[in-house]
Amino acid sequence: MNKFFEVVEKIFMAPMTKLAEQRHLRAIRDGIVSTMSLIIIGSFFLVIAFPPIPALAELVKPHIGKILFPFRLTMGLMALYASYGIGYSLAKSYKLDGVSGGILSMAAFLLTIVPQTVKGIGWVLPMGNLGGSGMFVAIIMSIFAVEVMRFLQTRKIMFKMPEGVPDSVARSFEALIPAAVIITVIWVIRHLLNFDIQVFIMNLFKPLVTAGNTLPGVLVPIILITLLWAAGIHGVSVVGAIARPIWLVLLDENMKAAAEGAKILPNIAPEPFFQWFVWIGGSGATLALVILFLTSKAKYLKQLGKASLIPSICNINEPVVFGAPIMLNPILVIPFIIGPVITGILSYVAMALNLVTRPSVLAPWTLPAPIGAYLATGGDWRAVILVLINIAIMAIIYYPFFKIYEKKLLEEEKEQAKSTS
Amino acid sequence: MKKVLLVCSGGMSSAIVVKAIEKEAAKENMEIVVKAIGTGEYDEEIRQGWDLVLVAPQVRHRLTVFKEVADELGIPIDVISAQGYSPMGGAKVLKQIKSLI
Repeated sequence: MNKFFEVVEKIFMAPMTKLAEQRHLRAIRDGIVSTMSLIIIGSFFLVIAFPPIPALAELVKPHIGKILFPFRLTMGLMALYASYGIGYSLAKSYKLDGVSGGILSMAAFLLTIVPQTVKGIGWVLPMGNLGGSGMFVAIIMSIFAVEVMRFLQTRKIMFKMPEGVPDSVARSFEALIPAAVIITVIWVIRHLLNFDIQVFIMNLFKPLVTAGNTLPGVLVPIILITLLWAAGIHGVSVVGAIARPIWLVLLDENMKAAAEGAKILPNIAPEPFFQWFVWIGGSGATLALVILFLTSKAKYLKQLGKASLIPSICNINEPVVFGAPIMLNPILVIPFIIGPVITGILSYVAMALNLVTRPSVLAPWTLPAPIGAYLATGGDWRAVILVLINIAIMAIIYYPFFKIYEKKLLEEEKEQAKSTS
Repeated sequence: MKKVLLVCSGGMSSAIVVKAIEKEAAKENMEIVVKAIGTGEYDEEIRQGWDLVLVAPQVRHRLTVFKEVADELGIPIDVISAQGYSPMGGAKVLKQIKSLI
């Protein structure tokens, strides 16, 4: 078994973590994460606009348009916010000026849009691709902008300000040439050659987004995440760096449909699917295991169960993963990896058959799973049932392995008692 | 008074470990300040005058990135052992802290 972990660490973990630490992916992750507060709060206005209680729904119906404005200006502009965050993080990682990197990235992204004139209003920006659907466009344009910045800077193609000029002034002058290059290049491509950069990039990534919504597209991240955690590495932070843009595009499509009042949403697998239906209690769905620990005759497990119950309810499972431990533990790691695959398949099928509403709201990840699932599905009580069923299934899968491990610990505790008495 | 910065993914799980360390330190009458942060806050927080940085085991793959800044500022940095990173691992981490500062 130790050999197995060694192999996993060597041929799988090392390249995975290296990939996640790759400069551009890291900037994408940090940039997108910086917009999460807006997305979480913004998406709650969707719940307010379409409350799960019929009487309430009737009451707010005439005001839906107004209620959704915060949603449209947060979620609906997500890619725009992210472009700033990505540009800022990437520039910082090159030790360039972060604010300039962010501003230039935002400009590079906005320049891919053709403004329209509306009678009586004047010039407007079509918002269609400024939200999640434009996420990949924002990513590519931000990388382009910062790489141009870096290229010019390393070749010393810039205005150099004499010493004594205030930093903020020097900064804006240093960004002049990069700005000129970025704006001109995109303007020529988009507006003179009339090449639709947005459509081009979106089509390029479309297969990835489509794949992310299939059953294999759900199971691959699940297995990768538990395998990483089995070696004690934060799986979601590694896999999410790559998968989150896809999850956000899927979420955006669902939110758009929900905002239009659609009954059946297009996608099954945005991030809340994993968060609430698979990772109940944290990666590996360890809440069920913690509940089993509470019943344990082994003192250590019982104590650990008590200490980690509340964090587990809030989906924080490091205490169990490192405390039990699950990581590098040949017994507990088996249900830890297999269980979520089974609940993942079940949840996917339940949503494919429309037995449970598909997720469209991003709720804070520290909420207890039944509440999170209820909110994420816009208030579907069947989501709560599915969560409870999944907890029961996980308990059944963990049980035999828990018993084997408990027996081992009981023997050790007995030995210890003998040797100290 | 020693100041220890503890970095984990979101600053959530490390908050639990902080409690365990503080409890253990109180037992030994050791004066210590421990703060839990997420990886995103690291670059800012590290410059606020810390004596030691501890990295949670689940984000140890980012150690090289953290170490770059810590080395620049001359602050010792280490990964918490997996056994120490649990509500019951306070004593273990405290021992590790003592050996580092």
